[in-house]
Amino acid sequence: MASAGSGDEKAATVTLISSDNEHFEVPEAVATLSQTIRHMIEDGCTDGGVPLPNVTGRILAKVLEYCNKHAAASDKDELEKFDKAFVDIDDQATLFDLVMAANYLDIRGMLDLTCQTIADMIKGKSVEEIRETFNIKNDFTPEEEAEIRRENQWAFDD
Amino acid sequence: MSREGQKLDSAAGAGGVGIGVLSLDLLGQVLDRLREPRDRKACRLVSRAFERAEAAHRRALRVLRREPLPRLLRSFPALERLDLSACASLDDGSLAAAVAGAGGGLAGLRRVCLARASGVGWRGLEALVAACPRLEAVDLSHCVGAGDREAAAVAAAAGLRELRLDKCLAVTDMGLAKVAVGCPRLEKLSVKWCREISDIGIDLLAKKCPELRSLNISYLKVGNESLRSISTLEKLEELAMVGCSCIDDEGLELLSKGSDSLQSVDVSRCDHVTYQGLASLIDGRKFLQKLHAADCLHEIGQRFLSKLATLKETLTVLKLDGLGVSDSLLQAIGEGCNHLVEIGLSKCSGVTDEGISSLVARCSDLRTINLTCCNFITNNALHSIADNCKMLECLRLESCSLINDKGIKQIATCCPNLKEIDLTDCGVNDAALEYLAKCSELRILKLGLCSSISDKGIAFISSNCGKLVELDLYRCNSITDDGLAALANGCKKIKLLNLCYCNKITDSGLGHLGSLEELTNLELRCLVRITCIGISSIAIGCKSLIELDLKRCYSVDDAGLGALARNAFNLRQLTISYCQVTGLGLCHLLSSLRCLQDIKMVHLSWVSIEGFEMALRAACGRLKKLKILTGLKTVLSPELLQMLQACGCRIRWVNKPLVYKDC
Repeated sequence: MASAGSGDEKAATVTLISSDNEHFEVPEAVATLSQTIRHMIEDGCTDGGVPLPNVTGRILAKVLEYCNKHAAASDKDELEKFDKAFVDIDDQATLFDLVMAANYLDIRGMLDLTCQTIADMIKGKSVEEIRETFNIKNDFTPEEEAEIRRENQWAFDD
Repeated sequence: MSREGQKLDSAAGAGGVGIGVLSLDLLGQVLDRLREPRDRKACRLVSRAFERAEAAHRRALRVLRREPLPRLLRSFPALERLDLSACASLDDGSLAAAVAGAGGGLAGLRRVCLARASGVGWRGLEALVAACPRLEAVDLSHCVGAGDREAAAVAAAAGLRELRLDKCLAVTDMGLAKVAVGCPRLEKLSVKWCREISDIGIDLLAKKCPELRSLNISYLKVGNESLRSISTLEKLEELAMVGCSCIDDEGLELLSKGSDSLQSVDVSRCDHVTYQGLASLIDGRKFLQKLHAADCLHEIGQRFLSKLATLKETLTVLKLDGLGVSDSLLQAIGEGCNHLVEIGLSKCSGVTDEGISSLVARCSDLRTINLTCCNFITNNALHSIADNCKMLECLRLESCSLINDKGIKQIATCCPNLKEIDLTDCGVNDAALEYLAKCSELRILKLGLCSSISDKGIAFISSNCGKLVELDLYRCNSITDDGLAALANGCKKIKLLNLCYCNKITDSGLGHLGSLEELTNLELRCLVRITCIGISSIAIGCKSLIELDLKRCYSVDDAGLGALARNAFNLRQLTISYCQVTGLGLCHLLSSLRCLQDIKMVHLSWVSIEGFEMALRAACGRLKKLKILTGLKTVLSPELLQMLQACGCRIRWVNKPLVYKDC
């Protein structure tokens, strides 16, 4: 049904190249959810594809899942449901990778979502519980820790 | 770089693995999304990376003590809001030094609160303003010694947008002028109680600060000329002139000639304002939302009512406390302003069930209804409210003694959003509490003087009202330790608790209260059975305790106060009148509690003069308020009294007879 016309019937696309050399052809309307990519398109340096050396193919695929959904959908409830499922990940490492990707690609909504998810994993927990959740080693000396505890109780409030 | 399917198991935790892959900034962004201060404080202890991230991103800080202030200001370079109102014994020198030592760290500071920091003067303020180029908001309220020099120091903050000088008694037209000229971008200003300010000062203010949106001139001796000046402010939205007895209808007439921007007006307690003046003021105001005219009007005429009706679309808050009303008046108000969200009829005579019915029938948006001392209303009024005002959040019924649990049942059933209810002196019983327990959103519950409330009633509330923050059981003397057990179990978020004269309570009850970690204000007047054991539990367990009232707790002695001295580190306000403390115990208490600013110690019969001298000297730099027996005025050394006053302490001499009572 495509008719010949002066303008392009096919929407403009841009090619994103992950660190492990996977190519993703993506409509501009979706890719521009990333401010970083948007600026590159505006500056006209996207010929031959945009290399993203900080993002693996696996993570980039997930990021594009997010962008596709958010570029298209308009229903708030639908987006909320999607977001909730999007961050329901067992693997913490993937979650951290998504935070870094959202930061690098400057995708505000995804950065909010992923950071909030991690914050929710910290909320209400004791110090020990937080360390356990993220497998963090306590690298304070006993004196340093005592000093911080003292400060927490006596020096200031929030 | 690849993390294909890598599950996190026993990583070493050194940077670069697990959450360590996040940069300090990204980790900080995660921590930014933690709302609760406790969570942020917990994160400071998790690891060095967490601590650095938290410190780098911390935006708000409330400092409790003077000593760590310099280090804290250096540690938190991203601070935007600094609250020093609780910083015990803060003075000019230490503020100036701390600010100087912070290096460039205060570059982002926008808001500083120094309310009640009476030790701070122009030197400290000058240093602060110089170090904070982005300063937008300063609160100096209740720094009663602050005057024109302090105002001048603050006026150097050219970008200042908000300034509070409430109760800065020494500020005159000169100081105000400095502020007006130095801070042309001022948007919000309060000079409440600064009674040295006159029409001249206000006139200059209005000329120099055209951006003013909110102005509070309550209790000033200014007159109609000030209103003429204020009417030239084109952006003014909020004007409060409570208790301005030199203002009358003529002034309101002048004000009404100004621009149409006014959204909120408060003329409460303005003796010479009548409904005519108000009618002129509200004539044609297209944006007026809030009208406070409490305790000023004696009557309301038709002219006012017809003008009120022109505000139909916008008026949401109307306070007419103290006015004599009638059924037809209430009906007219309901018809005239059916978008009302808040109505105040406290101490209004003539309020009847019919009047309330006709009012609420047309005002289904009402969320706050104040019927304090409207003592002729009955359950019928409550029925009408329940039927019409489903969004009800706050209901004040103090002294409405004709109502009972049946009326409360209706309210509780139909108004699920109820957050605050005041039933002081209403004589309600446990059945009412059984119904109120349905309101799971309840935050504030006042049951003072309801002596038929028992542990059973408290158990009902505790079973479902987990969000309760304030509970007033003043003179509910049937309450026992069991009631407190239920409370400690079900209402863990309680911050304010009044158990005065509930004299069946013993140490065991206080033991239960020891689990309330969020408790900040506790009143235990005349609990004659409690001893140092109970006080210990409170002191150790209630880690957030700031205010404690132990007046007439006759069995509390040095041991009890010792427990406080050793544990209640953040205590700021304490009443120990009539307690069995000796000079030694008092001294220990006053020298240990480094945040204590306000102490009432009338009739400490076991303390000698030397005891008072020593104790007060120990606390000299920190005390801001002291209430003590007049008889000591001639006996304490003049040198001590001078020192206290020099450090900003206000002494209230009290001449009450020594009377022992146990209820």
